[in-house]
Amino acid sequence: MNRTWFDWRTGVVVLAFAATACLPWFVSGYWLGVLTISSYVAVYAMAWDLLFGYGGEVNFGPTFLIGLGAYGAGMSNTFLGWPVWVSIPVGTLAAVIGGLALVGPALRLKGPYFGLVTLVAVLLLSQVINMFAGYTGGEIGLALRDILTISSTGNFYYAFGLMTITALVLRILVRSPLGLILEASGQDTTATEALGFSVTKFKILAFVISAFFSGLAGAMTVFYFGTASPGTVVAVAVTIQIIIATIIGGRRSIIGSILGAVFLIVAGEFLRPVGQLSSTLVAVLALLVLVFAPNGFISVFGARRERKA
Amino acid sequence: MNLIIEILISTFIIGAIYALGAAGLTIIFGVSGILNLAHGAIVVVASLVAWYCALQLNMGIYLGGLVGIAAAILTTYVLYFTVVIPLSRSRQLASEELPVFLFVSTLLFALILQGLLEWFFGATPVSTPAMIDGVVHIAGVTVPLNSLLIGVVAWAVIGALWLFISHTRMGKAMLAASMSPKGLAIVGYDIGRIHFLVWGLYGLLAGIAGVLLASFIGASSNVAINLTATSFTIVVLGGLGNVLGSLAAAYILGFLGTVTAFLISPSLREVPGLLLLIVVLYARPQGLFGRH
Amino acid sequence: MRSFSGMSRSLATAVVVAGGVLCSALVMPTARAAEPISIGVIAPESHVLGKSIFNAAELAADEINKAGGINGRMLELHKYNNNFSAADSSRAFQRAVQQDGVVAMMGIFTSEVALAMMPWASRLQTPLLVTGAASSEIPAGVKANPERYKYVFHSYVNSAILAQESCIVANATLTQSDKFKGFNRAVIFSEDAAWTKPVDESYLKCLPKVGIKVVDHIRFSPDTTDFTPIYSRIKKADANVIMAAVAHVGVKPVIQWKQQEVPALFTGINGQAGSSKFWAATNGATEGVITGTPGLNGAPLTDKTPAFFKAYTKRFDIGEPAYDAYTTYDAMYALKDALVRSDGGGDADKLVKALEKTDFTGVLGRVAFHGTGDDYAHEVIFNQDPTKGQSFVAFQWQDGKQVIIWPEKLAKGKIRLPAFVSQSQK
Repeated sequence: MNRTWFDWRTGVVVLAFAATACLPWFVSGYWLGVLTISSYVAVYAMAWDLLFGYGGEVNFGPTFLIGLGAYGAGMSNTFLGWPVWVSIPVGTLAAVIGGLALVGPALRLKGPYFGLVTLVAVLLLSQVINMFAGYTGGEIGLALRDILTISSTGNFYYAFGLMTITALVLRILVRSPLGLILEASGQDTTATEALGFSVTKFKILAFVISAFFSGLAGAMTVFYFGTASPGTVVAVAVTIQIIIATIIGGRRSIIGSILGAVFLIVAGEFLRPVGQLSSTLVAVLALLVLVFAPNGFISVFGARRERKA
Repeated sequence: MNLIIEILISTFIIGAIYALGAAGLTIIFGVSGILNLAHGAIVVVASLVAWYCALQLNMGIYLGGLVGIAAAILTTYVLYFTVVIPLSRSRQLASEELPVFLFVSTLLFALILQGLLEWFFGATPVSTPAMIDGVVHIAGVTVPLNSLLIGVVAWAVIGALWLFISHTRMGKAMLAASMSPKGLAIVGYDIGRIHFLVWGLYGLLAGIAGVLLASFIGASSNVAINLTATSFTIVVLGGLGNVLGSLAAAYILGFLGTVTAFLISPSLREVPGLLLLIVVLYARPQGLFGRH
Repeated sequence: MRSFSGMSRSLATAVVVAGGVLCSALVMPTARAAEPISIGVIAPESHVLGKSIFNAAELAADEINKAGGINGRMLELHKYNNNFSAADSSRAFQRAVQQDGVVAMMGIFTSEVALAMMPWASRLQTPLLVTGAASSEIPAGVKANPERYKYVFHSYVNSAILAQESCIVANATLTQSDKFKGFNRAVIFSEDAAWTKPVDESYLKCLPKVGIKVVDHIRFSPDTTDFTPIYSRIKKADANVIMAAVAHVGVKPVIQWKQQEVPALFTGINGQAGSSKFWAATNGATEGVITGTPGLNGAPLTDKTPAFFKAYTKRFDIGEPAYDAYTTYDAMYALKDALVRSDGGGDADKLVKALEKTDFTGVLGRVAFHGTGDDYAHEVIFNQDPTKGQSFVAFQWQDGKQVIIWPEKLAKGKIRLPAFVSQSQK
């Protein structure tokens, strides 16, 4: 119905992506590094929002999936000596398998209980990492043999490329029948089931897709950093970052997740000179957005699609 | 025999500590339906303020403890008025999305509190002084008096809470508010006032927990998240909003941890609790003692 | 997009700054020789051990500048607060090198952050001096891959050495003494973490050699709230020495040891007890706890130590310098010497070579690094004799003070048993 709106917005987004892709010619390696991390966090956020914004399920265990991807890839590289381009699929596969094992039973639960099971999965994963410190490096972390590349431009393009592909794939998905059913089930499970759709099946599919992108991004993140450690890919702090990015950017919106992730990381860097309280200030900003504009940045652009009841 | 007594005494104390830590969280969920993820941070506010007043300002543990409890109540009301009320009244949110937003905003509030606590007090762990020193010997087992006191106080607080809820007009109104807020409003109660009082009660419980626990396990800004997670686990195990259920769950968790540490290995003490939680969530998601 | 306005603002700032630099260069063509040399310091600002890193670096840099800097060029210190986060630290490292132009980075007291920053040192080709973390993975990484990690230097000893020293101290103060030789039954008491694995191995090897029997070996979860089961095991094993390896937990086991009156001396590696604030943090429960640290109370390990101690306590009001203040201070002077010898450190490989040749007397003893071929590659050389390497003292908490009990020539007191330990010995 609002075809014209749709078009100019798409145009802006495409232009913005194109402009970002040209940044390596203009900004320092440091800013490329900041955008690299922002891109990975954006992928985590998009993958999380597929379940939350579209599927209506709060997954408190994104770092269970990210961590499996990260440690799967890291251990395959360090202990099996497999090269980066084999280890990344190994990690991704680990995340997908872990996701499948978790989601089947978890989806029998509703609301906060689903969130809890996913949270417990993360706590168990960190216990396992500590218990098998000989293989995982425990709280200190695992130094990897290889990395993606040492060039900041190269790393930026890997991350930005992954983010762009994820955004495109998810955009196609959420506009496909799958996405529409998912969104409908997120808003009214009973009505959707009454229409004859198996909600659980679609949610499992969504969870697996989310696990795939989370695991892939987790695996690539550790090959960017050169180490895998609990603080970077498993800790609750990472989950918090993902949730905040998604919500302040604007849930149920792919661009929203990207905006939120970039804002969170870039704001942190701008405020770094403030010193110790900089991360607290970021949290205050995020809380203000959450309380007074709960639909996020994206609502400022008027881009929220109206609810289809 | 000796071992059994040791396990029992240890369980009594640790269970009381867990129960005290979780009591506020379960009340606030029961009445207002809010899972308050700033719980651990508010408990730590009480610990650190009490420590600071008692030792740095030389006010002694009793006065310092009172200031700590007051600080927890104050912080709770800041959370209530700056986050809970504006969000609950927000017109931009669909009602089914409200719980998630409250959930996330309490988490953000916790982060902010943690940052401020680090700024004021530093991230180095501290502990509040013991209320009483010395030990007693029970059947050949050495038990610190302070631990016994924590156990007794925890039981007293939970008992008082139970009496309050089941035997006073206000307490009954709170219970009713958790079941049918509309019904309560129809019979003439001011729901806003009830919520205001419940949050105050919550702050009081979190404050008492903070002051007492810090003499046993210490406190620092970065343990807030662990405190929240443990209390959360207990509340879920016991059934969301069920005070006596939480008490029982605290003891079950304490017993499992203690027995594992005594009989298997102290490095595995957290594992059985997590496994039990998974089993309960799958088999009986409303919690061991939850109302359905 | 928000990021764009942010980006363009930063671009604009960059242009303005670059313009300013260009102008000043045109106006004062001679100023170039006096251009400052930037050094980065990274640590968590909220923690006592992080603050002491910043303080010591600041103190040393000011002294160096007062004395004329590096061939006339001043040192400029850039501080980065990392909030304990490894991801944050790698970003800060990039900012330091690519934005602020630092020629070397130092600091860090958590091993996770140290390990995460090592690959970045090679990627950014910038020397990294780790001054507070004790993981043996740091020198092990350099040894395994010297080509990649040659930029990494470890200015503090690793935890295996700390364990070994704890054995030597136990031998000298307990088993060799007439009064305390009965203290020969030890329990190894370690938090279950990666860093304690080499410590435990070291304990298991060295304790029997000094005549102390290991009667039990307990690893416990760092999340433990109630230590009763563990202390009960220690009592049952009839041990009278606790050889600890604790850092993430510190307050909990010590206050419960006191409250439960566990009849065993608490000694070994105890990260938090090394801080002068530990007495207040535990409300005095730490009375009687023994542990070791590189420097303490300004004890005159070398003739430079007392002056450093005096300057530090006069300038900062956070109490006595913690161990990582001593190591950071020495690392800053090591860097200064290397900068002088490498012509300002503009060439990172030259700076690394110069650091490898470090040899001077610091506040903890002689400062020199192992070669990349040694077991502890690029780690500061350790020796009980301060004229030969970084050294170590042991102390006991007595009446709110950290009293040095070893080595003998620095000792200010003898071991005193807490009442509940001495009673059990009768």
